[in-house]
Amino acid sequence: MSFGGLHTDHRAIVAAAIIVFFVLTLVMAVLPALREQAFSTRAGATPRGNEEERGRQVYLREGCGFCHTQFVRDLPMDRPYGRPSRPGDYALEDPPMLGTQRTGPDLSDVGTRQSSETWHLIHLYDPRAVVPQSVMPAYRWYFVVKDQAGPGDVVVPVPADSAPRGKVIVAGPDGKELVRYLLSLKQAKVSP
Amino acid sequence: MTMGRSAIRTRMRDPGLVAAPSVDPATVRVMFEYVAWATFWLLVGTIIGLIASIKLHWPEFMPFAWLSFGRVRPAHTNLVLFGWSSLVLVGLSLYVVSRTSRVPLWSPRLARLALWLWNLALLGGLLTLLAGVNRGPQEYREWVWPLAVILAAAVVIDGYVAYRTVAARTLPEVYVSNWYILGGFCYLPILYVASYLPFYQAGLGNTVVQGYYMHNVMGMWFTQLALGVSYYAIPRLLGRPVYSYALGVLGFWTNLLFYPLIGAHHFIFSPVPWWLQSTAILFSVGMMVPVWAGTGNLLLTFKGGGGAVRRSYALPFFVTGLIGYGLASTQGTIEAFRTANIYWHFTNFTVGHSHATMYGFIAFIAWGAVYGLVPRLTGREPNPLAVGIHFWLALVGILTYVISISVAGVLQGFAWVAGQSFIASVIAAEPMWLWRTIGGLLMVSSHVVFAANVWAMRPQRVIAPTPTPDVVRIPA
Repeated sequence: MSFGGLHTDHRAIVAAAIIVFFVLTLVMAVLPALREQAFSTRAGATPRGNEEERGRQVYLREGCGFCHTQFVRDLPMDRPYGRPSRPGDYALEDPPMLGTQRTGPDLSDVGTRQSSETWHLIHLYDPRAVVPQSVMPAYRWYFVVKDQAGPGDVVVPVPADSAPRGKVIVAGPDGKELVRYLLSLKQAKVSP
Repeated sequence: MTMGRSAIRTRMRDPGLVAAPSVDPATVRVMFEYVAWATFWLLVGTIIGLIASIKLHWPEFMPFAWLSFGRVRPAHTNLVLFGWSSLVLVGLSLYVVSRTSRVPLWSPRLARLALWLWNLALLGGLLTLLAGVNRGPQEYREWVWPLAVILAAAVVIDGYVAYRTVAARTLPEVYVSNWYILGGFCYLPILYVASYLPFYQAGLGNTVVQGYYMHNVMGMWFTQLALGVSYYAIPRLLGRPVYSYALGVLGFWTNLLFYPLIGAHHFIFSPVPWWLQSTAILFSVGMMVPVWAGTGNLLLTFKGGGGAVRRSYALPFFVTGLIGYGLASTQGTIEAFRTANIYWHFTNFTVGHSHATMYGFIAFIAWGAVYGLVPRLTGREPNPLAVGIHFWLALVGILTYVISISVAGVLQGFAWVAGQSFIASVIAAEPMWLWRTIGGLLMVSSHVVFAANVWAMRPQRVIAPTPTPDVVRIPA
């Protein structure tokens, strides 16, 4: 049986495979990506400040995006998380974190939905102190246990049974920055 | 001189096996080294996966920064993809190109160099991801770029060794296995480079590339090598030709033409262009052609060979893997439909699908090939009972895993569609997460048994100096 001579020519097989896959990669990935990159603009949004950007680095480091999406679909079930996401929402994101799993809720607009810094700090220190059934990891390594709060310390008012007896929980710099980032997650107001 | 232990046995416990003669010992050694390192990464990668699984129903388990869920998850996926699945399939593929071309591997030394580059990248990937050094949650390309460069170099070297081996073949035809294998070695470097180059990845451009990459790394790499190995090993073990050579070639071309079009089905209902999503859904249906051409072709090769399957300890892995390929790929097609996506997207159903494919298909094919080919080369067989224990632990484990996590996914989807508060979906899924851990425990146990079996099959230091004839010696 003959397949146009290909079956005896390893060079032709490899050349065909490379050319076809290369062309499809251009058409299906690189060119659409270029187009998306060009036409994203973020109406009414301000770039992040330094603290918020450092908080985003903490978010990346901890892989928060493996459980929390930042991607609201135009579906009834997604309404609690904000308006449907638009290309412009991701214009300044590197990388954008749309995500593929929602083991925890979407965070596209969490800064609007939950704007309390204290709530976020308690939640990061001990998620089950505020949401008993939560399965989120406790990020204790972003907090310091002290005998007594010093000047300028942000004391986290955790419930008595979450903290060592007679000690206070103080937010570390990474923890505070992570919360800054979470509070900055607010969908830009756009006219429809 | 005693023949005893140093001689390659010509009669195997598994009647499908015939000791291979005159295989270049250097080819055998390097192939075995790939299998052995793959097994090591399988153990590490799945123990890490088990830790991740336990954390979902026991969040205070191992509350250390280096082992927090967001760090162990990418460590697990990258190790089982690039450590276990890639290394075992590359090792087997290098052997297949050598055998089907009837020449020794072109350069076992370069192949060994590539193996150490793989290991270097994998170790670096494991340590950096656990330390929190990553490129964010970009699935399967979380590694920082220097590690990606090392991995790409390893793939290119392996591919070049395979190419030169096929080029030196003593037969005119390029056997269909080598179409798939050479194809895989061409696709992965292109894909990998395209996914790491930054010039078109600002904003949503990144997401377009993400969908393309995370999908194609499966079908244009793992599937290619697994089918290439299957098209050699299954006919070899059954002692009969493949059912249809033409179907094998049809599968190769349709996979190449359809698969790269469907990456965007991971971002249905997203702001990614609508035409890209619709194309992806359409060709997800088109994928049924190569999937069932491959599954059907290889399963039909078994027709009338039921006895051989019952007597062999390698062939049941292939049968399971092929059924896994057909069913899990069909599941993937259904998941791409917009209606199904409403219920299943973002849920654990996706996790079930990825394990059904990478484990139910890829891992079982790899195990079948290891048990089917390695003893023929080293003259050492594992204990068939131990192989049976591996098979059943792995099969019951993956079924428990996939069923429980899929149920969890459906419960999550229903809770969301019903408009319940988010935590209701966590509460609904949690009992299933415990079952998923039980399945995972069985799977990890099977890998320990597999590791012992690999050790039992290790090559001897001294290979018998006299070549044995390529026939089954009938006892006098």
